[in-house]
Amino acid sequence: MKKYILALAGVLIAINSWGLSFDFSKLDNKAREYTVAVNMTVEISLGMQSTETQDRIIGTVVSKDGLVIFDGTALDGESPFSMMSGMQIDTKPKSVEIVMMDGTKYPADYIGTDRYTHIGFCKINSDKKKEFKFVDFKKRDNFRVGEWLAVYLLMPEYIEPSLAADVGMVASLIKIPEDFALTVGFNDLEMTSVLYDSLGSPVGVLGELSGQGPGFESGQMMQSMSQSQQTLPLLGVIPPDKLEKLFANPPKKGEINRGWLGIYMQVLTSDLADYWGLNAKGGIIINEVAKDSPADSAGLKTGDIMIKIDGKEIGLNKEENMPIFQRQIAELGAGAKANFEILRRQDGKIDTLNLQAVLAAAPLSPSEAPQYKDTNFDLTLRNMVFADYNINNLDRRQFKGVVVKELESGGWAAVGEIMPGDIIQAIDGKKVTSVDDAKEVFSKIAEKKPKEVVFFIWRDNKTSFANIKTEW
Amino acid sequence: MKRIFLALLLVLQSSAMAAAIPPLQEAIYYARDKVLPALVHIQPVITDYRTGKMIKQSVVGSGIIFQKDGYVVTNYHVAGKAERIICTLYDREQVKAQLVGGDPMTDIAVIKLDLTDYKGTLNVAEFGNSDSVQVGQYVLAMGSPLALSRSVSCGVISTTDRFFSGDVRLPSGEKTGMYNNWIQTDAAINPGNSGGPLVDLNGKVVGINSRATLFANNIGFAIPINIVKYVTNSIITKGRVVRSWIGVQCQELQDLEGWFRTNRNQGVLISSVDPQSPADSAGLRAGDIILKIDNRPVSARFAEELPAFYKLIADYPAGTKLALTIQRDDTTKTIDLVTHELGDVLGEDLECKDWGFTAKGITKQMAVDNQLEDTLGIYVSGVQKVGAAGDGGLLPGDVIKAVDERPVTTYKEFYDQYNALTAASVARVLLTVRRFGSTKFILLKIENEKADDAEKIKE
Repeated sequence: MKKYILALAGVLIAINSWGLSFDFSKLDNKAREYTVAVNMTVEISLGMQSTETQDRIIGTVVSKDGLVIFDGTALDGESPFSMMSGMQIDTKPKSVEIVMMDGTKYPADYIGTDRYTHIGFCKINSDKKKEFKFVDFKKRDNFRVGEWLAVYLLMPEYIEPSLAADVGMVASLIKIPEDFALTVGFNDLEMTSVLYDSLGSPVGVLGELSGQGPGFESGQMMQSMSQSQQTLPLLGVIPPDKLEKLFANPPKKGEINRGWLGIYMQVLTSDLADYWGLNAKGGIIINEVAKDSPADSAGLKTGDIMIKIDGKEIGLNKEENMPIFQRQIAELGAGAKANFEILRRQDGKIDTLNLQAVLAAAPLSPSEAPQYKDTNFDLTLRNMVFADYNINNLDRRQFKGVVVKELESGGWAAVGEIMPGDIIQAIDGKKVTSVDDAKEVFSKIAEKKPKEVVFFIWRDNKTSFANIKTEW
Repeated sequence: MKRIFLALLLVLQSSAMAAAIPPLQEAIYYARDKVLPALVHIQPVITDYRTGKMIKQSVVGSGIIFQKDGYVVTNYHVAGKAERIICTLYDREQVKAQLVGGDPMTDIAVIKLDLTDYKGTLNVAEFGNSDSVQVGQYVLAMGSPLALSRSVSCGVISTTDRFFSGDVRLPSGEKTGMYNNWIQTDAAINPGNSGGPLVDLNGKVVGINSRATLFANNIGFAIPINIVKYVTNSIITKGRVVRSWIGVQCQELQDLEGWFRTNRNQGVLISSVDPQSPADSAGLRAGDIILKIDNRPVSARFAEELPAFYKLIADYPAGTKLALTIQRDDTTKTIDLVTHELGDVLGEDLECKDWGFTAKGITKQMAVDNQLEDTLGIYVSGVQKVGAAGDGGLLPGDVIKAVDERPVTTYKEFYDQYNALTAASVARVLLTVRRFGSTKFILLKIENEKADDAEKIKE
């Protein structure tokens, strides 16, 4: 399918070359001012194995103080696999270097990656007075199907010049699930590259339609994992207004201000609406309400159907579109008030209720959880997060422990048959409920230097004791 | 008397046939002749519900006749779920057989040959004593490896009490091996040998071959015959093996004696307590060390000693009141509890053909193993990719709690609802399921003639 569309785009280019009126020499000069190469050393670890890779990808300076965006997909550790297996793929950019088109190099700090657009952010580390040239996006009110857009690609290091142009076409103006100018002709390697219209104005960056946020709907992840069919990436324009929000407040790794309601949900399909005799175009069915969550405090209940948020119809009726709603809640932010119109079915009748929830900050995801590495036992622990309780069906109020995130093979803990994903509940007879507890216990152990240390661990719904032999 | 006579005969024979045949070869011939005529090639048709529909499969295994009236012992994973069984005896005559009963925990099943039309003489093998087998002892394995019937292989006993820690399961998903160790042998055991006898050179069956190792050579495992004796006896007299259950998982104390301040070879460490089990209600917890059961000292310093401990509890009649003497935090106390019956590991299977999935009843064991909230509802064991359930988004592992918003709590309730709704040819059904601690609404759109007619009228 993808091939077919690419081929089609090729034909279109041949036939419609009159539609191309880019002044590439002008564009090239402009792009070179703020387009950069991002050189990253990324440490990828999975349970007991870790490797380092070198990445060189295209980036764009978006502010005068040196904020740079790039495709952060590879740095997003929230894969369904890690959620399901407890084996977390963790990606840590160890060092970032920005290379300007004139060859100037700057060290940079990684900030974080937006979980919806997968736009990665880093900040150039230079003396404060230095002002960088940056891309100045122009908001376009509407695109035309058939109009051409251009991007720049980063060439391999041995090729000079390092930028090459590519064009694609606006293929459709998608309305549902969200306004989105879909393009054809571009590919995954060009994600987050700046898109130019034929007048040479930067009009946005290349991104995916409603980037599937990781969410906490584990069942849905299972489903998407079991369906191995190939899907066509729906690439198009992420417009400046969406970008500005992100630029003003780039997502910081480990710092959460996403809004959270605390529900498990599914979309009200037209079939379900019909079955229940509801007069609604779409909505969100509440499947479960997390205890003491904003939804719980607002009085939302399992089986309620949300049809409006802040007076605006939700209107979603396809399961695939659920991320739109999740993102909407996330973007409202922690502390925001959200008003819901809900339908409640009870005793054979349907009541309409209006409820207000005050959103909380989203719970940390496993990769965002605070962690601690103990170099004696060669293991990395992290705090338990909401998803751990959810996936393992554990009671949040009663069950406590820390999750084994990584182990060095051959280390004390690994030899003692501790495994990634184990939840350690006690070390040396002391309960551990957080990495801070663990750190304290480990430091006391390091003073006493006992010959063996007993861990009490939870694995696959069973507990056991592990005797870890030490060698100080 | 008979044995002396036989031995005498052997001696006479060998001296008569000249000393060319070594004594080992003699012994092998002897064992062969005693057991091989009682060997059975078993071809059961078994049912499999894991793919979302019921599939029948013809498999091949081995078995051994152990009673004159036609009782044959084999593995549960060979014949435990058989719909019908065809057996080929040593004289190559084929007879039908019926399943008497099975025990997934020990992977043993008993079938009974239908001898009405059989004209030959039935040979019966003798069970030996697996407690007296030794490492290095010569053994023969007999059976139908890769369906090659009446095959004999030879080796020695590699280990007498191999223990497998962790969650060992049969191909059909049942937990197995909690109550026995295995005899390990290097006599070649391949698929198809399952259920066949492991024989010592006295011509006595010392084990039932049941497991081989993938990607390895000459590592096979047999269930010790003393376990088999007790299981077959239970199956024949009671139809199944009834076990007491208290809901504890234990762990060897080796290396942990210092930590728990116990003496060597004293006590059994509880590592995990199943929720809502007798042990849980009695207040037992992980870290407690059971010193005595009804004043009888118990110990498990090594993992190999655990199956015997589990069996000790299992052998009490269900409902027995036990006094457990335990050590907790340096104090000794007695805790009383009443055992429950272990019950089936897996529930009964059901194929919901019209809806495109398979389901099974939920047992206590399944609830523990699959981290379910309770035993209410019915467990989805398989979903057909294309079909009402697959299209509606039902997934294996879901627990159906309600059909058309009417609660279903048991296999029977669901079965009745399913039959009523399919008989009425309803066009859609709403399943309320639990998945990962959350409710989920699944609407099935069912294709059937009546529904199609209704559609046509609408048009």
